[in-house]
Order: sequence, then C-alpha cells, then structure tokens
Amino acid sequence: MDEKIENRTEPIISVRHLSKSFGKHEVLKDIDFDVFKGDVTSIIGASGSGKSTLLRCINLLETPTSGSVIFHKEDMTAKSVNAPKYRSHVGMVFQQFNLFNNMTVLDNCLVGQTKVLHKSAQEAQENAMKYLTHVGMAQYINARPRQLSGGQKQRVAIARALAMGPEVLLFDEPTSALDPEMVGEVLDVMNTLAKEGMTMIVVTHEMMFAREVSTQVVYMNDGVICEQGPPQQLFENPQKQETKEFLARYRRG
Amino acid sequence: MNRFTVLGSDIASLWAKYGGMYLGGMRRTLILALIGTAIGCLIGFICGILQTIPVNKNDNIVKKIVLGIIRVILRIYIEVFRGTPMILQAVFVFYGLPYFTNNILRFSDKWLVSIIVVSINTGAYMAESVRGGIISVDPGQTEGAMAIGMNHFQTMTSVVMPQAIRNIMPQIGNNFIINVKDTSVMFIIGFSDFFAIHKSVSGATFLYFPSATVEMAGYLCMTLISSLILRWVEKKMEGSSDYELVAADSLTMTAGTYNISKPKDTQNNDVKTIDREGR
Repeated sequence: MDEKIENRTEPIISVRHLSKSFGKHEVLKDIDFDVFKGDVTSIIGASGSGKSTLLRCINLLETPTSGSVIFHKEDMTAKSVNAPKYRSHVGMVFQQFNLFNNMTVLDNCLVGQTKVLHKSAQEAQENAMKYLTHVGMAQYINARPRQLSGGQKQRVAIARALAMGPEVLLFDEPTSALDPEMVGEVLDVMNTLAKEGMTMIVVTHEMMFAREVSTQVVYMNDGVICEQGPPQQLFENPQKQETKEFLARYRRG
Repeated sequence: MNRFTVLGSDIASLWAKYGGMYLGGMRRTLILALIGTAIGCLIGFICGILQTIPVNKNDNIVKKIVLGIIRVILRIYIEVFRGTPMILQAVFVFYGLPYFTNNILRFSDKWLVSIIVVSINTGAYMAESVRGGIISVDPGQTEGAMAIGMNHFQTMTSVVMPQAIRNIMPQIGNNFIINVKDTSVMFIIGFSDFFAIHKSVSGATFLYFPSATVEMAGYLCMTLISSLILRWVEKKMEGSSDYELVAADSLTMTAGTYNISKPKDTQNNDVKTIDREGR
C-alpha cells in the first residue's frame, strides 16, 4: 500500500452492463463503473436502491443476472472462474460484522491466511497482529466476538479482511448496525486505510465520510447509477434533480 | 415392608453370584452405544453436509444431477431407517442377508452387526439433526467465510460445523441415551448386552423381578452418569466467559468526538485531541 499510483489506464475492477433480478424484481439495471488503484468509491443512495446488491455482485456473493465484473481484464462472471480464489483478493466488511463466533479475535484473522492462502502459522500470526494493532484491537486477541462491542467487532472484521492482503476492500454499510458512539472508531480506521492508499468501495449512509474521504461518489437510485463524479462536484453541484433531492433530505435530517 | 427386605436379600444374592456378569453386560452395552452413536454421528454429519451443498443456477448439469441423485438416496435412507424398528433392522441384517444371498453374505460377528445396525439407525436420526443444526447457524457466518475465499468444504469444517455441533450437542446426548436403552433389542440376534444378561440370569435363578430391579437401577445409573458428562461437555464447549486484555485500547472514543479532517466545530476537535494524546 504505497503512494497512490497515477495509473489511470487500467482499472482494477470494471463493472459492465451489470443487471440483477430477484424473480421478476429487477434490482440492478445496466450498471457501469470503474475502480482504479487507490480509489475510494462511495456508493450512496436511499435504502432499496440496490447499493448492497451491487457490492455483493462485485465479489460474487450474488450471481449477476447479466453483465460482467472484470477484475484485471478477466471476466469474473465466466463459468470457469474460481470464485473463492477471486474473493480472497477482494476483501469484504459486512454490516453485521459476520465474525466467526466459534473463534477468538486472533483466530478470526488467522483462519483465512492458513486455510486459504496456506501461510505458515508464524507468518499468519505476525500478519494478523500487524493489522489488529492497526485497528487498535491487539489487546483483545483472546476475546470472542460475543464479548466485544459493535465497533470493536467491526474493527476486527476490517483486520480480518486486511490480513488476507486484498487488492480491493468492499464495505457494506459498515457503520449502519453500530450505536452512534461507535461509528467514529470504525470511520477513523477506514479513513486511515484510505490515506494509506487502500482501494476501497464503500456503501454508506455517512455523507460526511463520502464527502471528505472518497475520490469518487456514485449516487444510486432505483437500481441505476443516477450520477457519479468527484465528491466536490456531486455534493456541491449535483447535476440531476434526484441527487439534489436526496442530498437535501440528508441536510435536513 | 417385608416385600422390600425379601427383594433386597434376593438382589444381594443375585449380585454376589452374577455381579460380574451384570457389569460385563453394562460394559458391552456402553461400548455398543458409544461406538454406535459416534459412527452414527459421523454418518449424520456426512449426510447433513451433503444435503446442504448449495446448488447454483450457473453450476454445470453434471453437478446438479449428481447432487439430485445423492439427495434422493439420502431421503430414502433416512425415511426407511427412521421409519422401521431397530429390532427388525437387526433381524434383516443378521438373518435377512444370508437368506437373500444364499448364505454367501453373512455376518458371523454379532458385535459387527450390532454396531452396524445401531450406527445406521442413529445416522438416520442424526442426519436430520445435523441438517437442522447447519440451517440454524447464521447465514452471515457462511458469507463471512466465503468473503475471505473459503470454499464450501472449508466453510463447513472451519466455521459452520463447529457451531452446528454446539447447537446439536443436546441431540447427540439424547441419541446416546436412547442408544444405551435401545441396544437392548440386540438380544434378538444373541448379542449379550446388559438386558441379555437379565434373560439368562432370570432363566437360571427364576428371580425374575429382583433381576429386573437390578436392570432398572443399572440402566438408570448409566443414563444419569451420561447426562452429567454431557452437561459438562456442553459447558466446556461454551468456552470461557472471561478473556484477558493484552494492553489498553487506543482507538475507543466517546460519543460525538469524531471528526474526519478539517472540523468546523473546534470544540469537537479539542475533545478529540485530548483523547488521542491522553492515552
């Protein structure tokens, strides 16, 4: 994770004509966007606009109905693709944390490294401790998920994802299930990661975060990308009427 | 009161003469129940995992057909062995196999037949329990495992099954206790378990009721001790409710103290500075 590389020629992830339907209900319609190295992309929009589904399609937790997700020039929706291997390069942090309840904090960060990446126990442990320290959870390594607060769980979940050494990190409303007093500690960790040049795609309702930290913002409405652009432009000078109304609702609220 | 003194002295004399036999029967009953339950659980786990393999629309046709066939076979297995008495299953395996195969296929070892029948029978019950246990684990756990690149097998063995086992521990215990009692039907093929000892002792001494009392007390002892051990194991699996901190948490901030970069509210910023430096 060195300095942002000004390599805008080849995106890490390209989403092309992506559509997803649940039965007759079309949740995503013809989505197109690119993520380059070092980008922090915030996806904002009302509940039910398809933000989370889009994120889950990107790492194939949901199978897209049509269209493609291109990771380093390779179409990940092809049948021959090894989905678990692809997912090990694309970390994900969930709204509900999804820490493994049967393991301690440390084991949560070790199991992927040893079972999926086949690292040695010592290497995995050093790596896990590095990221647990980074998120300020190093002293909780012996605790179990149920003994932690929401904010602490989410920080462990971020460390677990980082320990896999992902190229891109996906965040699915990482602060939406937290008590207000715990939102800060998680956003702080994410802010630090963004500053270090981690490529991130963040579905969020935290407008402050989207505005201050992201390099591009995607506003989704009814399953389509309504508007996208740099945060200054999208927040200060939105072009579409829907975007203006959405942002106005947030300012009032 | 007189009845009880007679019963007491009868039991005492039975125990003095046949105590070793009773204890031997108990030992065989426990071993059979233990091995049968263990293998049955293994069968149940395998069936449960096979039944819960997710089928995706994009999967190839061969995988879909194979999985379909496996599911039908498992369904038949579960329904047949859950739906017939174990005593008849024992008869079918021990006497039925040589009958149908002209004595080519026959088991001479009663231990083997008993273990097979008890295991298969337990497996049929456990398959459903395991399926229920797997379903009861939060789907988020599976997603968390998939998101770090685990395949179905790794997800099952590292994350889902350990939690499912915790959920179905009471069922495993239940099956073990049922097996301690129900292995008594193996007398039908001449397996000399605890109950079979009663048949031979009462046949030899005509002390039918005192021997039955010994049996009752013996079975109750075995099941009570099993219950206690199972409770203890369950508690152990729960894990410690305590954990040790290694140092102090440097990132926890109190409500309203967070600001991202250039905060407009200076008061907030002050609080944050104090918090970050005062650790």
